[in-house]
Amino acid sequence: MIVLGVDVGGTFTDLILADLGKQQLTVHKTASTPANPAIGVVAGLKAICDKAGIAVADIDSLFHGTTVGTNAMLEHDGAVTGMVTNEGFRDVLHIGRHQRPQHYSIMQDLPWQNRPLIKRRFRHTVAGRLDAQGGELAPLDEDGLRVAARTMREAGVEAVLVGFLFSYVNPAHERRAAEILREEMPEAFVTTSSDVAPQFREFERFTTGAMSAFIGPKVRRYITELQGKLTDQGLRGELHVMTSSGGVATPQMIAEKPASTLLSGLVAGVRGGAWVGSHIGADRLITLDIGGTSADIGIVRDGRLAEADARSASIAGFPVMLPMIDIHTIGAGGGSIAYVDRGGAFRVGPESAGADPGPAAYGHGGDLPTVTDANLVLGRLAPENFLGGDMTLDAEAARSVITRLADELGRTPEETAEGALTVLNSNMANAIRSRTVQKGIDPRDFTLSGFGGAGPLHAAEVAGMLGVTRVLIPPHPGITSALGLLTADLEYHALRTAFAVKGGVDHPRLTHLFDDMEAELNAIFDRDGVPADKRRMLREGDLRYVGQGYELKIDVPDGPLDAEALERVWQDFHDRHRAEYGHAFEASPIEIVTVKVRGLGEVEKLGAPPEIAREGTFEPVGQGRCVFRVGEALETFETPYFDRATLPTDRDRPGPAILLQTDSTTVVPPGWTFRVDRFANVLMTRDDA
Amino acid sequence: MQTRVDPFLAAVIHGALENIAIEMGHKLMRMSYSSIIRESEDFGTALTDATGRQLCECTMSTPLQSGPIPGYVEGVLREIAGRGDEIRPGDVFMHNDAYAGASHGPDVGFLVPIFHEGALAGFSVTTAHHLDIGALTPGSCGIVDAVDAYAEGLQFKAVRVYDEGRKVEPVWQILRSNIRIADLVVGDMEAQVAAARIGAERYAALLDQYGLETLTGAYEDLLDYSETMMRDAIAAVPDGTYNARTHIDGYLDSDDPALKELPIEVTLTIEGSDIHVDLTGTAPQTPNKPINMPLVGTVDCAVWLTLRSILLDSDKFGAIPQNAGLTRPITIHAPEGCLANPIFPAPVIARFCPGNAVADTVMKAIAPAVPQQVSAGIGNLRVMAFSGATAAGPWVHMEIMEGAYGGRYGKDGMDAVDTLYANTRNNPVEDIESHLPLRVLNYELRENVAGPGQWRGGIGSIRSFELLEDGAVSVEGDGQRFDPWGFAGGADGSPANVDLVQADGRTEALPSKIPYRQLARGDRITAYGPCGGGYGNPLLRAPEDVLDDVLDGLIDDASAREKYGVVIGATREVDLAETEKLRASR
Repeated sequence: MIVLGVDVGGTFTDLILADLGKQQLTVHKTASTPANPAIGVVAGLKAICDKAGIAVADIDSLFHGTTVGTNAMLEHDGAVTGMVTNEGFRDVLHIGRHQRPQHYSIMQDLPWQNRPLIKRRFRHTVAGRLDAQGGELAPLDEDGLRVAARTMREAGVEAVLVGFLFSYVNPAHERRAAEILREEMPEAFVTTSSDVAPQFREFERFTTGAMSAFIGPKVRRYITELQGKLTDQGLRGELHVMTSSGGVATPQMIAEKPASTLLSGLVAGVRGGAWVGSHIGADRLITLDIGGTSADIGIVRDGRLAEADARSASIAGFPVMLPMIDIHTIGAGGGSIAYVDRGGAFRVGPESAGADPGPAAYGHGGDLPTVTDANLVLGRLAPENFLGGDMTLDAEAARSVITRLADELGRTPEETAEGALTVLNSNMANAIRSRTVQKGIDPRDFTLSGFGGAGPLHAAEVAGMLGVTRVLIPPHPGITSALGLLTADLEYHALRTAFAVKGGVDHPRLTHLFDDMEAELNAIFDRDGVPADKRRMLREGDLRYVGQGYELKIDVPDGPLDAEALERVWQDFHDRHRAEYGHAFEASPIEIVTVKVRGLGEVEKLGAPPEIAREGTFEPVGQGRCVFRVGEALETFETPYFDRATLPTDRDRPGPAILLQTDSTTVVPPGWTFRVDRFANVLMTRDDA
Repeated sequence: MQTRVDPFLAAVIHGALENIAIEMGHKLMRMSYSSIIRESEDFGTALTDATGRQLCECTMSTPLQSGPIPGYVEGVLREIAGRGDEIRPGDVFMHNDAYAGASHGPDVGFLVPIFHEGALAGFSVTTAHHLDIGALTPGSCGIVDAVDAYAEGLQFKAVRVYDEGRKVEPVWQILRSNIRIADLVVGDMEAQVAAARIGAERYAALLDQYGLETLTGAYEDLLDYSETMMRDAIAAVPDGTYNARTHIDGYLDSDDPALKELPIEVTLTIEGSDIHVDLTGTAPQTPNKPINMPLVGTVDCAVWLTLRSILLDSDKFGAIPQNAGLTRPITIHAPEGCLANPIFPAPVIARFCPGNAVADTVMKAIAPAVPQQVSAGIGNLRVMAFSGATAAGPWVHMEIMEGAYGGRYGKDGMDAVDTLYANTRNNPVEDIESHLPLRVLNYELRENVAGPGQWRGGIGSIRSFELLEDGAVSVEGDGQRFDPWGFAGGADGSPANVDLVQADGRTEALPSKIPYRQLARGDRITAYGPCGGGYGNPLLRAPEDVLDDVLDGLIDDASAREKYGVVIGATREVDLAETEKLRASR
């Protein structure tokens, strides 16, 4: 069994090939081709097959993370999109929640008004209306709909969203309208709001549907083209695409639900981190994926990736009402710029020098002090041995930009560089607290996994700020995302709005809702050819106290949902509410708002990571004077540099130390001890823990 | 700038403070029951020092809720001192005194004192707009005929609701028996206490970590920082005196001339890095109608918010911490006994719209000095309360109806949005109809009414509600009599209006303020939102922008021709030759 993971990023396409039988991994990096990412994928595919000495036809399965949909949103470059909605509600997408994103601004833009996904001229209304229970108040005006369809066709509309009020209770009008639209506009991508996100709140649901229509044709085109190109190369295995919920889906599903790929590129990292952690018993994990401009934070509890709170996911300023892994992104990375702002405050990021010109240390003309420059000044990067010697850093340039900033602040260059790291690390620690401490989760029970190019540089110090005592650096920090692709199962979701209140639950109806959703998912798995014993159905509910507007996710047991089965659910909700918010309203009635089934279809994927055993001693390849904060003061340490690939396994060594490898650099601060484990991970533990 | 704490540590502490206020807001919003908090986000959370100086606020709070928090704390401290009381660990205070810091009665604040090494070190505060506070008619808006402070509902002057950690049950019993829909309101109050306690706990931990001196130094630096930013921005404005006058509707259906078409006047004196704001010329207070505005809690917030939004626009300057330092360069005067500085017990509960008119007037005054940083006149807002009783008990629903911004330099005004000092969210139609005997009939932009300009004014909304059972409505609005002002050659916008269409088909145009009025099943209320003023000469508007508005159905061909001098040809394209000819003839 041979599986290939291909993660397309903005600059690089990362590939990782795993021969599951031989426990062999091959990795490769190639330049991305943003204009048509499929070209880069194919180039990488050929190269990695050569490297591994296999034929493309030998690959059984290809897992893919894509940013085509994400970029279409970020660059506002999607299809000419139209909409059909209820008479009287043409501007739901335009008015939004009538709130401004910024409190204190006259000149701000509202994304949904300034760059609408669907222009008003393409938003058509037709008669037809349901009430809140799904009953029909006015029949759908099918003639009017056909007129609208023809108008849109003539205007060159390529994608259409059907969005009607209360379609999450009763999708009949939306489905009928979509049928008619497909008849009248056979070329167009047609979708309905209830298909995309069957949940109440019309602005958010319509917007999510509009997004799906807006990116739909582009994503569909890309997947079709990619599949064609891969087949031309001789690929016989299946193509699987990562979705925002951390599973993978077939090309057919992606073509139907393109919005499910909005976080495709990001979630693979959390997956990869979780997978690495799972083999060393770290099933409570904070993943910290740091690149040049941003840090992505994910939380794994009991091996499960934390999902975004209902109503808090957004992309390009638009709300997204879809199941998504909770990834908290902040503007903090190796390229983040340190500066004194016009009011005299010291700041690091979110502005970044990016890859071009990049940090001053890159020698490409960057003249602003960045985090990478600070790391270099403090001796934490080896100038001659950056990225395994692929690149040399200009230490003088780094020192000169940091010194300029230091002069402005009246501090030494070392104080300034260390200060920049402290502020950056503190920003990341705060972001992690918002996903842990603020949700009633104690991060001190967690392992922090640092990866991405810059994660291993900062992981231990961020952990120290949080009281986390265990840090895990995977074997190949730079390709953890691609690795994560190889660890996912097929995952589909079914959702229904339930509105069932404790005390008045119609138990057979609730049980039927779940059975119905499972039947829906089973039909998809039948289509995908997933055998029955490889399927798993996980039930969940979004619950709240009656009257509240935000729900909490609670697991729901299998089988018939009688009063006894629900008792556990109600109690779990009280407990979860107390843990999350610090308070529970025990006497208040509880409402099940939405119910959901996550269907998992097991596919062949990466098993355990390859094991290594290396004897020998710790032989430095160099040494530097590194500055670290010890309590209140800064101290300089003679610090050894090690080549990570040569370190003995299962032997402890105290920090400070700097570990070099081709895709990253790991900093072990004083007060920490590290070892390489049998999976080639670096594990750091705090000495005072 | 000389700082007390090293700049790196200061940045770390500032991040931690902000994180606390956000956590408080996040939890309050998610725990609360009534849509006015959870959907409209009409709440505030902040931390202050022991004297009430604000250290940080939650970015989700609406400015009119977080802005007054320092005033709440000062009001509570004064009240406690006045009665010879003292604050002890475990106490929680409830406060809504509009003459001692509160913005108005329905905005109830809960204050949790923070102690460090045995001494009072600060306060963690949450404020929120409550659906009902036991006034003469259901709901907490549209109480437009309250005759004095006592008619506005319950008054809390630093009432202790927890005494050294023990719940003061009698107070909670009074709340439960005097507030309509007490389950919702008292539940929200409990959520406020829980969120404020979390803030207190986090702040106390921060004090333990860094010590009072370092923390104090860090936030003093933060206040200085915000002050410096504001002073720099003020210094960039030419010195001088800038005056503007606008009018509010008041009570258009009243026979008393002292109650309608009332002037709001603002004179700004800018000298170096200081601004003095004088409201002399503003109408006298209305002794028995509640459109008076507390000077502390409403007028001051309106002034601060407007000046910082213009001078330190976050779109350009990024997020600058909202704290006590930011307001140091600004002084405000309003003659005692005027609308903007009423004398107790003049009623104030309906101060929302006049306060936003103060904000608009401040913008109008400073506009000539910073013409590229302002919008033309904004459309004011309107609050409606629907109420009734079903078999399940009484219900109240509050809805804030959006206004619109005026045109801006290089940009059209924002359409159908909350304006200036308010920034709440609407309620989803699907939420309203799922929980209340109401049906929403439409929610769209108005057509052919936008304020023309080179950059046109934002467009108001139209929204209609039908009662599915007998009930009532109260309306608290303004902006029906006067057009939002055009600027720099732009035309004025258009005012708001409200129609009542009764079940039998009779239509009645309503004034902007309607005290509790019974409605029958089948009655419909249609609210037309105001449109902001235009910016710049409409004849200079890019013809393709006019065409876009025509294609989008926002204006028709005739308006394009009359108001903009743009001729749209039969192929739905701009007829450039005809347009040039027409424009040249104007």
